[in-house]
Amino acid sequence: MRIGMIGLGLMGQVHLKAWQAAGAEVVALYDQNTIQTERLAREHNAKVCSLPELLELVDVVDICLPTPQHLEFTLLAAKAGKHVVCEKPMALTLEDATTMLESCQKAGVRLFIAHVVRFFEQYQTAANSIARGEIGALGTMRLKRCGYQPAKEGDNWFLDETRSGGVALDLMVHDFDVANWFAGLAGAGQVTRVFARSSRSLHPDAKGDVVLATLKFEHGAIAHLEGAWAYPKGVFRTGFDVAGTDGVIEWRSDDASSVQSFLPPVATGIAAVGLPILSGGADPYHLQIAHVKHAIKTNSPFLVTPEDALAALKIGLAVRESLHTGLVVNI
Amino acid sequence: MKNLRIGILSTAHVHADGFADILQRTPNIEILGFSEPDATRAEAFSSSTKLKHFATHAALMAEHPDAVIICSETSLHLPLTRLAARGGAHILCEKPIATTLEDALQMQDVCQAAGVKFMTAYPMRFDSSLISLKARLAQKDLGRVLAIIGINHAENPMHRRAWFANKHLAGGGAVMDHTVHLTDLYRWLLESEVRCVQAEVSNPFFPDLDIDSAGFATLILGTGETQVPASIDCSWSRPVGIYPRWGHLKLEVILEDGAFEIDAFANKLSLYSRRTPRIANWLGWGSDATTKMLGAFLDTVRHDTSVPVTWQDGYEGLRVALACYDSSDQAREVLL
Repeated sequence: MRIGMIGLGLMGQVHLKAWQAAGAEVVALYDQNTIQTERLAREHNAKVCSLPELLELVDVVDICLPTPQHLEFTLLAAKAGKHVVCEKPMALTLEDATTMLESCQKAGVRLFIAHVVRFFEQYQTAANSIARGEIGALGTMRLKRCGYQPAKEGDNWFLDETRSGGVALDLMVHDFDVANWFAGLAGAGQVTRVFARSSRSLHPDAKGDVVLATLKFEHGAIAHLEGAWAYPKGVFRTGFDVAGTDGVIEWRSDDASSVQSFLPPVATGIAAVGLPILSGGADPYHLQIAHVKHAIKTNSPFLVTPEDALAALKIGLAVRESLHTGLVVNI
Repeated sequence: MKNLRIGILSTAHVHADGFADILQRTPNIEILGFSEPDATRAEAFSSSTKLKHFATHAALMAEHPDAVIICSETSLHLPLTRLAARGGAHILCEKPIATTLEDALQMQDVCQAAGVKFMTAYPMRFDSSLISLKARLAQKDLGRVLAIIGINHAENPMHRRAWFANKHLAGGGAVMDHTVHLTDLYRWLLESEVRCVQAEVSNPFFPDLDIDSAGFATLILGTGETQVPASIDCSWSRPVGIYPRWGHLKLEVILEDGAFEIDAFANKLSLYSRRTPRIANWLGWGSDATTKMLGAFLDTVRHDTSVPVTWQDGYEGLRVALACYDSSDQAREVLL
């Protein structure tokens, strides 16, 4: 399987390595940052290409670009008959997301939105327990994803809410998807309404942003989500608490990990964009890409359908609307 | 020093045993006993505390206590407050202070008319972890408070006292039971009032009961530049009898230049035993907030000083709890 990478920033490089770990051939790279791309091409035995060249050379296009560019590049790849892997959030509007979905369907290519949290083993273990009915009917969910403000060098598009969607879309869309996923496995139905408040909605000049969102589901379950770009640099904390009529599942990234280090303090580099700390088990980015490869090869279902990604986006947009209007938003 | 004469009015609340235990270890007081019209509850309380039983509240009040602790069902707080105030006894009252704002206002009136003190039993203000957090925030060196996230989820207390799940007696379920503690802590920590309340209130856990068992509230405290969004999880979401303890009180304060997380009951041992009602137990240590709260109450009575937690504090908590129900019913944010 020949892969073409479009966008080789932080996530692009993570995907590149994941493809190689999965035994796929990353043959073509396309990015505006030519110096970095040349270096990566040398290191990974790939070729720096123009877009038409890339589309010519590959079977799968992996798009790790800022969100506003997802639509354009997905359409180009689909038109060229290439399967598409695309970073989350799928798009910034339902119209764009729907166009992406429909264009891929029409072109007969697969569309994989990289909701990587589904491939974190603690989330999968929780999902399996919920699916086995071990917590009974779903009552409440708490989902946490709090980190520091992205400090990307150069064009830090994350901080431009018109391009990234801010905390509610860029970060919390992971947990909107998890909420839908867990609720679906527990038979709790769809999200019917949302409400949200944030630091920035009250104070546009606040240094960081914390978003608090509450979701209500069809059959009475409710969820509370915390998302933040606010912690001191380097701090990233996630967690979930899923309670049902017969049991509760708890996990926090603060909990003991299988490797703990006790070392003299040294200045360590901090990634520009916070990623969850991996602890034990397989690398979820590798699992995700391996699952994509398998789904293409065997023409089998992928864990996250484009419709799932669209549903998560829908919640994210409703949360943003609630932040703007101060109203409860029906879905 | 003259001994203060103390009585416990009703043993309906799960905290009555704890109060009795602390009182019995408190010097310079005389415990008159407890009043409890319910024979079954009276017998259980007598045998666990060895305190004197009065079959009616009036009989206990006839002993002229200096102060009483009201541990009744919430809907009975008003008649017991009236009885105590008219008998000239200062009052420490369980939370929430009433099931309606009308009752709460009448409680204020009868206490003022009788010239007795009324203190709301919010023990967490006396917890050492929260006191240290308040002192740290007072340094005001970490920028604006961006948000507070609070968790006070618990077991359904009805397996210990059935009335907690009786709408008439408790005024509501999880939201009534567990929004007031964090609401009070937020007001106290930020030194500002709750202005807006939004909540989703639901009963996913006990479909056979006509009561709310889950709630997520989002408050806004303060005005203008000082506004802070703050959330509360008051759900009865810990599985009864399975979870190692009743639940948690945790809160995280995220500021522009740092964050603090408080887990007020983090000091615990894990005990796994065939001889305890639960198989897995968290044995707490180091938290003596209730002892300190009771001590503060007795001090204010003894020295005739103002109570550290007022009727107003009780009233504001109740307003928020009631606003949660309105918000959820009407699917909108409620302004206080």
